[in-house]
Parts: sequence; structure tokens; C-alpha cells
Amino acid sequence: MTWLKLVEGYMPMQMISELAGSILVFALVNWALKRAGLGVPKFWAGVGVWLYIQLYLQYRIYPPIPFSVRAIYGTVSGCGIFMWVSGSEGEWQEFKRPILNVMDGISGVHRAVRLGAVIVIPVAFGGFAYTSFLPSFAEPIELRTVHPAPPATTKVHGKTFVLQVVENPYRVNAAGNYDQAYTDARIVEQAMGRLMKDVNDADYNPWDPDAEGYIKYVREGGEIFFQNCHFCHGDNLNGRGLWAYAFNPIPANFTDAGTIAQLQETFVFWRVSKGGIGLPGEGFPWASVMPPWEQHLTVDEIWKVVMFEYWHTGYYPRTWD
Amino acid sequence: MGRLISGQTRKKVLAVTSLFVMGAMLTLPIFMALPALAGGGAPAAGGPPPDVVAAQSGEGEGEGDKVEIGRDVYYKTEGPAVGAPAPKTQDTEEFYPRYNFESRVLLWVANQQHLYYGSFVLAVPIFCMCIEFAGLMSKDKAMAKKYDQLAYDFIKISLTAYSLTAILGGILIFTFLTLYPAFFGYLSSIFRPVMHIYALMFVAESGTLYIYYYGWDKMKEGLLKWLHVSMSVVLNVIGTVLMFLANSWIGFMMSPAGVDEQGRYLGNIWHVLHTALWNPLNVHRILGNMAFGGGVVAAYAAYRFLSSKNDEERAHYDWMGYIAMSLGVAFLIPLPFAGYWLMREVYAYRQQMGITLMGGLLAWLFIIQATMIGILFLTTNYYLWQALGRMTGGERFQRYIKYFVFILVVGLLVFITPHTIVMTPAELKAMGGQQHPVLGNYGVMSAKNGGINAIIMTTIASFIWYQRGNRIPAVKWAKFGNIFLITFFVVAHVNNIWVACYGYFIPANVRIGLSVPQVAGTLSCLFLGSALNLAMLKQSKEIGPIQWGKIAPRSQYALIMLATAFTWMMGLMGYIRSSVRLFWHVNEIMRDNSPWAYTHTIGFAANVISFNVLFFWVSILFVFWLGTLGVKKAPVSATATVPSAPSPQPAPGH
Repeated sequence: MTWLKLVEGYMPMQMISELAGSILVFALVNWALKRAGLGVPKFWAGVGVWLYIQLYLQYRIYPPIPFSVRAIYGTVSGCGIFMWVSGSEGEWQEFKRPILNVMDGISGVHRAVRLGAVIVIPVAFGGFAYTSFLPSFAEPIELRTVHPAPPATTKVHGKTFVLQVVENPYRVNAAGNYDQAYTDARIVEQAMGRLMKDVNDADYNPWDPDAEGYIKYVREGGEIFFQNCHFCHGDNLNGRGLWAYAFNPIPANFTDAGTIAQLQETFVFWRVSKGGIGLPGEGFPWASVMPPWEQHLTVDEIWKVVMFEYWHTGYYPRTWD
Repeated sequence: MGRLISGQTRKKVLAVTSLFVMGAMLTLPIFMALPALAGGGAPAAGGPPPDVVAAQSGEGEGEGDKVEIGRDVYYKTEGPAVGAPAPKTQDTEEFYPRYNFESRVLLWVANQQHLYYGSFVLAVPIFCMCIEFAGLMSKDKAMAKKYDQLAYDFIKISLTAYSLTAILGGILIFTFLTLYPAFFGYLSSIFRPVMHIYALMFVAESGTLYIYYYGWDKMKEGLLKWLHVSMSVVLNVIGTVLMFLANSWIGFMMSPAGVDEQGRYLGNIWHVLHTALWNPLNVHRILGNMAFGGGVVAAYAAYRFLSSKNDEERAHYDWMGYIAMSLGVAFLIPLPFAGYWLMREVYAYRQQMGITLMGGLLAWLFIIQATMIGILFLTTNYYLWQALGRMTGGERFQRYIKYFVFILVVGLLVFITPHTIVMTPAELKAMGGQQHPVLGNYGVMSAKNGGINAIIMTTIASFIWYQRGNRIPAVKWAKFGNIFLITFFVVAHVNNIWVACYGYFIPANVRIGLSVPQVAGTLSCLFLGSALNLAMLKQSKEIGPIQWGKIAPRSQYALIMLATAFTWMMGLMGYIRSSVRLFWHVNEIMRDNSPWAYTHTIGFAANVISFNVLFFWVSILFVFWLGTLGVKKAPVSATATVPSAPSPQPAPGH
């Protein structure tokens, strides 16, 4: 469906709106048909809406939705349709009628359908059982814990950091004091893309020669990022770096609302420092090849690069209150 | 004096005095034991355990009478280390006896069954108290009798369950002693100062319950009735204290306090009881028990409805199911807020624990929990829509069900969309990353808050529909009221969706604050919407009577489903709460070195939970069956008080 694009940033609401619009159109069409004496029987209306939702999820949404989620959506929408068709006694009777007619075999056609069902349903079950027992060479499903719980403390370059209380030493205001609100006001704006608030202002543009304090540290973090991280995490920090597709899963997409936007800065500091090899037992199956960056970067460099990642994506690190 | 105080007041004063005397008598042994409780920093009553005394006397030979001072791991206060350190267990028969079966699962089942019954017998007396009081205050004699009968029916079910609770409690203790002797020994040594209070509370609870139940007929008039109602207050106070004491054990296991780093008791039992998570657990469990109790009684009523032989019985049990369901749902609505407080305290106590629960190892179980919550709300809505069928005029609303279904389904889909998706590596490659660009946005809190609030608001709207089922508001401002009500709900929904979207563009700490306007919108719908609706219905035209008993059997299956979902969710949340300690018996104090100190797979855990649910329902069916035997012996109770179906009854929920 190339003529109606899913617009980045608006996709979740767009999907719900499209589904709501479709249901409304169905209701209006059904109402008009009913007025013309051609109302769609409840049974077929229910089956039709359910099929429509499944087809919508399978073919409209891109990239493809994994089966496990489609199964959840299919089950829930099926329950919803049951609630609708059995909401009142009259509607329930209307919905059941075609099924009962087939079971009772009230006409030749119904008897033929019944016979077909008696043959097809066991065969379908048999086929399902047969295919599920066939040997498969597909890799097994892994339930990965992407963000395992961090330890209470972590030791980097001989210094112990208490992750619950430690602060990024470079997240400072003009006076040199830790100031989350000050730095939050200077990150890029999240709109249809990511834009600097004022390119000509040294207070907002890290590459301005006059940039000082926080915004200068962001530039330094950026330099570290483009020297070390962008090969995997991509120059737009979206996990689509040059080498990204050599890995499975591909590296984390920082622009996604579900990665660094959900985490405290200290969590990212710990993950970057310790890499995939430092994941705890909870991080099974440890599907991360990120090197332990403490072996290549200093503590200061790690703090700066973490700060750059937040600045560039326009996200705020999670805080306590 | 006698002239100044009316007869009724005198009866009330006498009732309260008698009640006070009875309460004092019942709790006398506990108060006698209180010096140990009030001792604060003093050593536990009866002194330290014998093994500690022996150890100390051994030490004393070399070091004189010096008592070591320990530092409280949570309160950071200092106190004499009078207790023994937590045992350092090893994977041997001595610490973890084997019976060719996973000991942890055996203990899990024993614990869960005891909890199910315990929750039920603690919740039902609270309902009884409310319903019996409502009957006492009712001016309508027929209604008063009906309420009284209902309260009696409730307590009757709980009585048999009470015996089973005690039996299961015994089984639980034996299981603990047999399978985890070192761990149980340590916990007992810590809680020794309150163990006898716990036991005495049981005696007090049993005594009060039996007098309350068996005295029902004898105490049905005047002063005695007041005394009887007041007795239910005492019963509930004792029950609640009992539960708080039981909760202190799990609070201690999750967030220990009152001990030093080695696990030595420091002599202050209040610190041991009042751990970081004790009060959030208490509040969450009270509400949870009530919702669960309502669900089980509703299922009982549904069972009796479906097996009814005549219209009178059907009418009575239809009404009973409705009341129980309403009570259960009334406590279900604040439950997420209590859960939110508990989780907040968990995060404040240990960040890792919070992340393991909500974002890490156990996060998928929370998706299952969200699914169960969704089932509860959807089922409640479904029941209410079915209940419209027993009212003349209810069909006016049924044509709009499909729009409500849509909001509920979309809200639920957003609410249960996982952040970490289960997928094959091929699907992962096709998706291009761990997060889906469209659905990934539903996986975070901002969207989920929007989803659940939409569901709750729709449920409130269904309740308002139900209240209006057979009535048309006749107040002068009815038209204005209707427009206001509809506008209010629409604005609340728009606000909810807008805030859910806006949450993606602001810092997390501000986003958390956004839940306030969302919840405020929902609660406004609940309180303002319901109040306005009731005001409009004060003067209303009745289209037709409520025909109790004339409801589709589907509705009763919905009640059974509601109760089953409650039970399953309770089992699930208990498992999550317990397994978040990972490899600790007592978090960071006593390590679990048994071969079962690992986290089960989701499938295995779900199977054990399902087994627990099945076992509970099979056994409670037995309890229900016993209840029916009682009815046959006392025909007076049911049939004499339930009016015949065709005669209209005021809807109690209206």
C-alpha cells in the first residue's frame, strides 16, 4: 500500500486510527445495507471483521509482525468479536443460527457443508499435528532479556560506581554543577526528524567553535562515537551501521523509544563499560557482541559518549523523580 | 437518664460496651505478651534461641559477657547481635532433604493453596460485615432480610473454607520443616518474639468466627443484632492483624531489616516486621484478597445459579452473583494503584529488583499479568452487558456494544503488547532489530497507561449503562446532564490518548507525572460520572422491573471466568514476587544453595500455576457442595427470604 504511508513518529496512532476508521466504515456499510434490507448476517460479519484484522496486521504493517504477536492480536480480537456477537441474546441467536443450521443439516447445502466439515476438520487437525512433528531446521525461538537488571555497583578502571546514585560528571550547567534540566533543554528536538534547536548558537550547536561546557562535551562524545561506535550503531544511531548486519541480532537502535530512552544513564554507562561479555546471568542468551569498552576507553570518554547518544537521539535519560 | 437516652441509643451503647469487653477478653493473651513487642531494642521475649545461648555461653568463656553489636542492614541502627547468623547452607541432605521431587515445587503448591484459602477467609468476613450492616440499616424490611440472608450465605461458605485453611497451614509448616529445615529454623528464630502472638490470634479468630456464625439466629434482634454486627468488626480486625503478621515474613524475605549483614537478629522485632515492603504488601494484599474473595463468591453464586431447579433460586443466586461481582470489581479498580506503590517501593529499595521484575528476567510474566487484568475487565464488561438483558429497556444500550468492544480490544492490545517480542531469528532479521518500529511504541509505559485507562473508563461507562438499564432520568436537567456526561467521558478519553502520545516526547520523570492527569480523568469518570448518574436517576421513570434470574447462562460462565482469572493472576503474581529474590532465601542475607535455586521457564511456571488453580477450584467445589448440603438441612434460610422472581426488587447496586 504505497499510496498511504506509515509516517515515522506517528505510526502507532496511525495504525489504531486506520483500524478504527475501517470498523466505522464496516458499521456504516452494514447500516446502509440493513436499511436496504440486505444486512450482512451476524455470523459472516463477525468472521469477516476478524479476517480483515488478521490481513491488516499481516500485510499492512511493515516490517512484518512476528507470529507470536499476531497470535496474541488474533486471539484478543477473536475474543472481542465473540463479545460483540453475543452481547445481546438476539444477536447471539442470529450468530449461532448458521452454525446450528449446518449441524442440523436443514437443507441439502447445509448437509453438504456438514459433510465437508466432518472431513476437513479432522484432516486439518491431522495436518497440523503432522507438520508440527516434522523435523525443523529453523533456529529455536529465544526469549531474550534485552535489559537485564544491572548490579548495584560496577568497577571500571579500578573505581567503584554505585549505579543507583552516581551522576554523569559532564552533565553540567554553565556553573559546572550537575544539572539535568539544563542539559535536557539543549538536546536535539524530536519532530519529523532530529534538529538542533539553533545551529548558530554556541549554546546549542556542539560543533560551534565557541561551544563550552556541556555542549562541548557532547561534541567530544560525538567524536568518540564516530571513532568507535558508529560502525555498528550507525551514523544516525539507529543500529544500522556498516557492520550491523553481520550480527544477529543487529546492534541496538538508540532512536527507538524502547532502548536508551527507557534507561538510566548509569545503566548505559555499565553496559558500555562491560559489553556483551559482562552481561549477568539474567541477560541470557547473552546475544550481544559489544566489546567491553572499558578496555578501550577511559571512564571520562564513556560518560561523554553516553551523553552524546542522549543528545543526538533527543531522549532524556531516565531519572528517579 | 433513661429518659434522655432513647432505647435505641441505649442498646447501641450496651452493644459497644459488650463488644469492647469481648474484644478485650479475646485479645487479653496478646496484650499480656506485648511487653516483648514494646521492648523495642530489648532482646526478644524468652531470650535468644537455645542454640544462640549455647554459642554465646561458649564465647563467654573466653570473652567474658561481651555482646557483639551489629548494624541493621536496612535501618542502619546498631543493636546487640542476640540472634544466630543466617545458616550458610550447602547442597546436601542436611540442609535440603530430597524426596525425588523438586522440593521447591512442593512448597510452592502448599504455600499457594494456603494463600488461596487464607485470602478467601479473610476477605469474606469483610463482605459479611458490610452486607450485614447494610441489612441492619435498611428501612425496607424485605430488603433487610435479604441482605441478612446474603451475609449468612457468605459466611457459611467461608466457614468450611476456614477449616481447610487451618489444615493447609499445618501442611505448609510440615512441608517447610521437612524440606527446608535450615531456612525455616532461621526464619522462626527471627520471628520468635511474635510467633505466639500469631498463634493466639488464630485462636481469637476461630473463637470469634464460630460465635459469629453459630450465634446468627440467636442474635438476630435488637441489641444482640448490634452486638453480632460489631463482632464482625472484631473478627476483621483480628484477621487483618493476622495477615499483616504473615506478610511480615515475606516482607522480611524480600527486604530484610532488623538483622545485621550476617543475618543476626538485633533485638528489635519492630524493625523485623516493619521492613521496606511490608506496608505496600499489606495494602496490596488487602485489596487483592477482597477482589479475589468477591470473585470466588461470585463463582459460587454462578455455580448455584446454573444448578438451580427453580426460579426463586435462580433469582437469589443471580442477585448474589451480581453483588459479589460488584464488590470484587470495586476492589479491583484501586488494585493497580496499590500495585504501582508496591513497585515504586521495590525500585526504591533495590533498583535491580525492580528491573528484574519489570524490564528484565520476569518482564514477560508481567505481560501475562497484563493479559489477565485485561481478561478481568473485559469479562466484567461482558457480564454487565449480559445483565442488561434482564432489564426491560436494557436493549437500548446493547446496540452500542460493538463500539465499546472496539475501545476495550484496542486498549487491551496496546496494554499487552510486549516490549521484548518472542520471535525466531528469521523474524528478527526480517524485522531489522529487536524493536518493532510500530508495535515497539506500544511496549512502553506511556502507551500502556493509556491502554489500561481506556479500559477502566469503558468499564465505568458500562456500569453507568447498567444503572440506567431499566430507567430513564426524569429530572428537569436530564438533557443537560446527559450531554455533560457524554462530553465528560469523551474529553477524558481524548485527554488519555493525548497524554499517552505526549509521553514519548518528554523526560521519563515528567512522563511518570503525566499518569496523574490520566488517572485523575479516570477517577473523575468513576466518581463524578457515577454520582451525576445517580443524581439523575433519583427521579427516574422505570421502564420495567429487573427480572432477577432472567439472565443468559453465558453471564454466569463469565463470572466463573472472572473468578478463575483472579485465581490465576494471584498465583502468577505470587510466583513473580517470590522468584524476584532469585537465588536468595532472604535477600542478600541467606543464600539459597539448593539445586532448585534457578528461575523456572515461563512454560513450567505457568503449568504449576495452572495446577494450583485447578487444585483450588476442585477443592472449593467440594466446599460449595458442602454448602448445598447445609441448605437442605435448613430450608428456612433460602426460600423464605427470597421473593419470587416476577415480583420486582429494587436493584441493590443502583
